[in-house]
Amino acid sequence: MIEVKNLVRTFNSGDRTIKPVNDVSFVLEQGTLASIVGKSGSGKSTLLSLLGALDKPTSGDVVVNGVSLARMPDGKLTEYRRRDIGFVFQQFNLIPNLSAVDNVMLPMEFAGVRKAERLQRAKDLLEQVQLDPEKQARRINRLSGGEQQRVAIARALANEPKLILADEPTGNLDEQTGDHIIALLSALSRDHNTTILVVTHDRALANKTDRRFRLQQGRLTEEPVRAMV
Amino acid sequence: MSVLARSVGNAFRNKVRTAAVVAVLAVAIGLALSMLVANQAVGAKVQELNASVGTVLTVNPAGGQGFEGGGEPLTAGQAATAAAVPNVSSVVGTSSLRLRNGTEAAAQAAAQAATGTQTGPGGGQGGAGGPGGASAATLTTSLTAAIDAGTLGGRNQAANGTTGSTGTTAAQPARSLPITATGTGGEVDSTGKALTITEGTGLGDYTAESANALLGTTLAEKNSLTVGSTFTINNQTFTVAGLFDAGTTFGNNALYVTLPTAQTLAELPGELSSMIVTVNSLDNVESAKTALQSALGTDTADVTQGQNLESAVSSLGSVKNISFIAFVAALGTAGLIILLIMVMLVRERRREIGVLKAIGAPNRTIGLQFVLEALVLVAMGSVVGAAVASFASGGIASALISTNTSTTTATTVGRAAGGPGGAGFPAGGAGMPGGGGFPGGNPLGGASQLLTSVTASVSPGVIAAGIAAVFGVAIIGALVPALLTARIRPIEVLRGE
Ligand SMILES: Nc1ncnc2c1ncn2[C@@H]1O[C@H](COP(=O)(O)OP(=O)(O)O)[C@@H](O)[C@H]1O
Ligand SMILES: [Mg+2]
Repeated sequence: MIEVKNLVRTFNSGDRTIKPVNDVSFVLEQGTLASIVGKSGSGKSTLLSLLGALDKPTSGDVVVNGVSLARMPDGKLTEYRRRDIGFVFQQFNLIPNLSAVDNVMLPMEFAGVRKAERLQRAKDLLEQVQLDPEKQARRINRLSGGEQQRVAIARALANEPKLILADEPTGNLDEQTGDHIIALLSALSRDHNTTILVVTHDRALANKTDRRFRLQQGRLTEEPVRAMV
Repeated sequence: MSVLARSVGNAFRNKVRTAAVVAVLAVAIGLALSMLVANQAVGAKVQELNASVGTVLTVNPAGGQGFEGGGEPLTAGQAATAAAVPNVSSVVGTSSLRLRNGTEAAAQAAAQAATGTQTGPGGGQGGAGGPGGASAATLTTSLTAAIDAGTLGGRNQAANGTTGSTGTTAAQPARSLPITATGTGGEVDSTGKALTITEGTGLGDYTAESANALLGTTLAEKNSLTVGSTFTINNQTFTVAGLFDAGTTFGNNALYVTLPTAQTLAELPGELSSMIVTVNSLDNVESAKTALQSALGTDTADVTQGQNLESAVSSLGSVKNISFIAFVAALGTAGLIILLIMVMLVRERRREIGVLKAIGAPNRTIGLQFVLEALVLVAMGSVVGAAVASFASGGIASALISTNTSTTTATTVGRAAGGPGGAGFPAGGAGMPGGGGFPGGNPLGGASQLLTSVTASVSPGVIAAGIAAVFGVAIIGALVPALLTARIRPIEVLRGE
C-alpha cells in the first residue's frame, strides 16, 4: 500500500516559483493498476520521481507499507529504489554501450543475484516483453525506440518490485505491442499483486486501469473509469 | 557483466579518446619509470662507489704519484708502520712497472739516436724516456699494447721521444703505448677494489714471487693469449693464470703480477710505488687518514682519499636527487592526468550515473566502477610507458648525467672528452695504476663510465615497483572523481526530459 500525503514539490526558475506537484494526496492499495493523465508540463513526471525516491519533496510524505520515505536515510532510499521500485522512464534511460540482456541484469547485479540466475531471468523477461531473441545480445544503441522501450520495461521488472512507476510506457510502441504491454502490466497487478502507476496519453490504456487520476497544474483529481467506451 | 567488465567496456567507449589518453599517460608513466630506473641505477652505483672507495686510502711517496713527480720510494717498513695505525684493516703494497714491446722499443731507440735528442721535455711529464717519479726503468715485453696510440698517444709519446719543434722532418716512427704492469700484494686494483677475474684464477699468494700473471681482457685478446698461455717480461717467461675486466679500455691494457715479482723485475726489492690502505669502517676514514699521515710523515708520504671519485660520487648524488624529483613530478603528472580525465568522464556521464542510481546502484559500486576504469587506462598507459622507458631510460640517464656533470665540473669537460679513450697521456685524466687515481680520472669520466651500467640495470623489479607507484597515484587520482559520483543525485536521470 502506498499513501501520498500532502506532497509538494516547488522549483525556483529565475524569480518565479513553479509548483508541478501542489498538495497531492492519495492512497493506492497493493495490486492496484492506476493511471495518471494530464497535459504536458502538468507535473506527472515530477510526481513519479517523488514516488520513486529519485527526488525529495519540498514538503509532504510518501509512506510505503507503513514506512515513511521522508525519514529514510540515503542508503535506505537506494535500497528502496533497488528492491521496491521498478521505474520505466519516458526516455528509457538504458545504458547505451551495454547489450539488452546486460541492461536487464543490472538491477539484479546490484541486488546481489547470482550471475547464472540473473542471466536466465533477464532472458525470460525479454521474452515476456516480446523482444526478438536474436536482439537480446545487441547493444542498446542498435535497437529501435520500441525495442528499447521493451528492454526498459523488462529492466523495471527485474527485481520483482512491489511498485512499478511507468512514464508513458506505450508511447513509442505500435498498437499491437502496446496492447501486449498493457496486458502484461494488468497480469502483473492481478497475479503478482504489484501496484502499478502509469502515466499515459493513451486513452485505451487509461480506460483499462482500475483507477484514473488527472493532474492539472500540480493538482491531482480522480476521475471515474468508464469500463466500456 | 560485472563491475570490472563494465569498467573495461567503458574505458573503450570512445576509442579515439582512449588512444589519446593512453598516449599521454604513457609519456608521463614512461618518464616516471625512466627516472626511477636512472635513480635506482645511480643510487646503486653511488653506494657501490662509496663502499669501495669510501674506506680506501692511497699512500704515495711524498711528491710523487705513479710515474710522475719525485721523492723517495715507499718501503716495506712503511707498510708495516701503516698496518699498525689504528682502524687500518689491511695494507696492500703495489709496485708499478712500465712495459714496452721489445721490438718497437728497439726501433724507437734507433730513431732517437738518429736525431740525437735523448732528453725528455721534463721529468714531470716523463713517459718512456725516463720518469722522475717512483718507478724504475722501462722493461721490455713480448706483449703488444691493446690500445692504438691514436692522436693523443702519438702526441704524448712523441713528446718523450723527440723535442717536437726541433725534430727532424724524417717520418715519425710508429708509436706504441706502454703497458702497465702492477705488482700487487693483494687481489685488488689500484683503487683497492677487488679484481674482477673473468677467466682462470687469481695469483694465490700475492706476497711470494710467482711466474704467473693476470692480464686485462683486451690485452690478452690483442696478443691472442688465454689462460695457460705464456709471454715474457725482460726475457723472463710468465704464464697467464687469469683474465680480469677492469671495466675500462685503459684499465684492461694492464697486467698484474705478485708484489715480490715486480720488485725483482724492477731490481728494487722492498720498494713500493704506493700502498692501498683499507680502513675498517667509513666512520673511521677521516681519523685513520690523519693518523696515517702523521705516522708516515708528510715529507715521506702523501695520503689521499680518491678525491676524484668523491666528486664523481657527489655529482652522481645530485643526479640521483634530480632523477628522484623528476620521478615524483612525472608520477604526479600521471596522477593529475587521471584526475582530470576522470572528472571529465564523470561530468560527461552525469545522466548515466543518475540512471544507475535510479535503478538502485549503491554509491560504492559506481565509485568502484570509475576507479577500475581509471586503472584500465593506467594499465594500458603503463604497458606502453614501460616500453617507452626501456628505450628512453638510457638516453634520459645519460642526458641527466652529462648535463649535471658539465655544470658542476665545467673546467674538466674539455679533458674529459678524451679521458677514458686517451689514456696514453700519463698525467691525463686516466690515472696510472698505482697513482691513486680513479680510472677515468674525473667526475665526468666516472659518470660516463657509469652509463653502461645505468642502461644495463633496467631491472624488472624496479619497473614493477615504479608501476606499483603509478597505480597507487592513479587510485588516489581516480578516487576524487569517484567520490564526486556519490554527490550526483538520481534525479539527474530526468535532466533534459
Ligand atoms: N528540475 C527542474 N527545475 C525547474 N523546473 C522543473 C524541473 N523539473 C521539472 N520542472 C518543471 O516542472 C513542470 C512539470 O514538469 P514534468 O513533471 O516533467 O511535466 P510532465 O511530465 O507532466 O510533462 C514543467 O513546467 C517543468 O518545466
Ligand atoms: Mg513527463
